[in-house]
Amino acid sequence: MSNDEVGSGVALSETDADERLLDRLAGFSSEQTGLAVAGFAGFLAVWYVAALFQPTYLLPSPVEVLAAFVVELTAPASLSIPFTGAELPATRLVVKLIQSLYHYVPGLLIGTSLGVFAGVAMGWNTRVDSVFTPVTRLLRPIPPLAWIGFAVIWLGVNHQGATFIVAIGSFWINFYSAYGGVEGVSEDLKEVAATLGVDDDWTMIRKVVLPAASPSIMTGIRTSIGQCWMIVVAAELIVGVGVGYEILNTAQNLAMDVSVAYMLVISIVFLVSDGLFRRVERRALEWRA
Amino acid sequence: MSGDANAGADTTATGPDETATVRVDSLGKTYASDRRTVEALSDVEFAVEDGEFVCIVGPSGCGKTTLFRIIAGLEDATSGAVTLDGSPVTGPGTDRGMVFQEYGLFPWRTVAENVAFGLEEQGVEEPARSERVTEMLELVGLDGFADAYPKELSGGMKQRVGIARALAVDPELLLMDEPFGAVDAQTRDMLHGELLDIWAETDKTVLFVTHDVEEAVTLADRVVVMAANPGRVREIVSVDIDRPRERTESEFAEYVERIRGLIGE
Repeated sequence: MSNDEVGSGVALSETDADERLLDRLAGFSSEQTGLAVAGFAGFLAVWYVAALFQPTYLLPSPVEVLAAFVVELTAPASLSIPFTGAELPATRLVVKLIQSLYHYVPGLLIGTSLGVFAGVAMGWNTRVDSVFTPVTRLLRPIPPLAWIGFAVIWLGVNHQGATFIVAIGSFWINFYSAYGGVEGVSEDLKEVAATLGVDDDWTMIRKVVLPAASPSIMTGIRTSIGQCWMIVVAAELIVGVGVGYEILNTAQNLAMDVSVAYMLVISIVFLVSDGLFRRVERRALEWRA
Repeated sequence: MSGDANAGADTTATGPDETATVRVDSLGKTYASDRRTVEALSDVEFAVEDGEFVCIVGPSGCGKTTLFRIIAGLEDATSGAVTLDGSPVTGPGTDRGMVFQEYGLFPWRTVAENVAFGLEEQGVEEPARSERVTEMLELVGLDGFADAYPKELSGGMKQRVGIARALAVDPELLLMDEPFGAVDAQTRDMLHGELLDIWAETDKTVLFVTHDVEEAVTLADRVVVMAANPGRVREIVSVDIDRPRERTESEFAEYVERIRGLIGE
């Protein structure tokens, strides 16, 4: 029937529009790339010139930082594997990074899971919402690092203490994004699902609410991936392990080039983890207009 | 298109002695707030026979959408009842397939996955589920778009998915709330033809809400004309024109004029 032709005609013209948009973006982005490279080169040049007139302990030059980075990256160190007592050969930088990951990853996973769970529960059920809203309003403004005293008393000056702080940070980010996402799910979609035979809460949450709220939940996870690196560094200053501690420790010995090299590690790790998650997000949310 | 005329003839021939699929019985709906009460529906009464195509038309505020939602089970009536094959409607169910003006497609599901949604809830296993989905997509002319996401479709195509999804669970009644209100005029004409084809092919009872009188006269065996304040049935008009109906026919224009007159009073 003729409607098929009209239908595919519409789809075809939409594809054309997409391609034109891509062309424009590609042209735009090559100019942008040029500007970005120029901006970064300018930043390095200013930094380099400024450092020429300063001792390393006041301002290390980019070359010194790079050299320190290479040394840390290659200097042998041994990595102790928790619970097994085994020691693996590694390098200093890798050891510090893995120490940070020991509390970054569990903290992020625990905080994200609990945050999403709590956000969905309160966004979905108005009674749960009413019961917990006062408590969340009260606790929300407290910065994660304020809990450091409890972290140390309850869990000790160790990975668990830092994990706790990271978990609190990611909890709130994910709690609010999940809560908002679930609240924003359109009534229409829930009604459609009801007319198609969904008659219990769990199925409705699983098949309608979570997918509909997933863009918001994903944004929360991505934000917490970044924020938790900031929190990790701060927590480690006190707990005394990992990349964050190394930034402070080396600075106290006036080895500013090493300190900045470890700052660079945080940036690189953040950029890599954020980039990876963006890819996951793009694939998972391919359906989004 | 040749099937429509036969289907139309069938339903008019069988007449009202058949069991009514839908019976709306002295239905009333009042919305009460602190300050005042609004009577959205008052003593609405009509029946839709098995296999019949009935349109509900009326001015805005006549409660046709409220009526639709009560029949769908998405809202409760204040008084009276809706029965489907004799059993009262108490909530939404798969015996009534719903098609909404804003499509209501799940954007994270592909066309095929949207159509499969109700089948999953009914526990239809593969490969029967996929077969049914394919069959439905062929019925609405979207066989090539199974893996497309809703965002890639035009309005008319989206509504075809909506119809396929509603029909997939094999409901007794197809309930449509201004389903073509958001598509352009040419697409709407085309979809009218298709809907009548689908109706002829599936023998479903159709209850179709619209504010467009020409649309109602194009489609319906009977038109339930509603009036506002409070929402009530003004008159039920049988449209005795053979299908396919042409808007240029004088008979068609007479029906449109008559119904417009009823609404405008």
